[in-house]
Amino acid sequence: MTPTLEFKQNSHLNPVLTDPGTRILQADKLLGRWLNTNRETRGIAECVIERDGEQFIVSAVGVGADGPIEWPRTTASALANLEEEGGQRAVVLAATFDFAFMKAETYIRVNKGVLVIVLYATFRDDSGRSNYVNREFFYSRD
Amino acid sequence: MQFAQICDLVEIDTASMEPIDLSSFPGTWINSNPETNGIARLLMSESDGNLSLQTLAVGPTGLIDWGRTGVDVFTSGPSSRLAAGFSSRYDFDFVEIRLQGMIMKGLLVLAQFHRFKDDSRRADHFAREYYAQIPDGY
Repeated sequence: MTPTLEFKQNSHLNPVLTDPGTRILQADKLLGRWLNTNRETRGIAECVIERDGEQFIVSAVGVGADGPIEWPRTTASALANLEEEGGQRAVVLAATFDFAFMKAETYIRVNKGVLVIVLYATFRDDSGRSNYVNREFFYSRD
Repeated sequence: MQFAQICDLVEIDTASMEPIDLSSFPGTWINSNPETNGIARLLMSESDGNLSLQTLAVGPTGLIDWGRTGVDVFTSGPSSRLAAGFSSRYDFDFVEIRLQGMIMKGLLVLAQFHRFKDDSRRADHFAREYYAQIPDGY
């Protein structure tokens, strides 16, 4: 007897979600070193995504005033992306970079060979800066 | 001022700081894909300078109301005072759903992160859909 699944939308009942193949994350397209397509960026200059077993490690380098700023390496959680990349079961990474004064929540995906990082920045200091969202594009250097 | 990327190094005059302009968001946003099996529409409203969100998703027999929840607001940059994005979270018994929206070219792009907490062995997954704001009374 098939157990009844709880749901909040039809997609929660999609049989693909319980297909063991969906849990095998096809993340090869995400791995490697990525450089910002905008050489004049004032944000993230580059990003490296590595895989260690089932874990994904993301490191990033921000553009600083006097040189690059290494961001803390962080572990990303991987989610199946069922609907993009021509029906391929692609992967999206969700990674949070935790600074004392700011938190940067990102999601990272590949679309047509371009790595897209969407970043939600939340400031924890009393600088008066607005929390903001930003999106940047990266090309593979591997 | 601390920063991790130089775009965050900005001059802010806290004495003359305006409240965040939330006017981009209140109203009804409908999914651009009428065949969606996910979120069909978002109802956003403003009260006392805060935004809230009601989510209606497609179910087998009609729309499922997820209820109303608060949102965190994001602008387009550290010195901007115009709302351009939001994040929100629904925590149900069996699934946690995080929503992250941003306005691009007049559309709301909604990233959805579904993490199952039950023992159904369903894969955590991501979806990204587009929503158009419809005029009042539509």
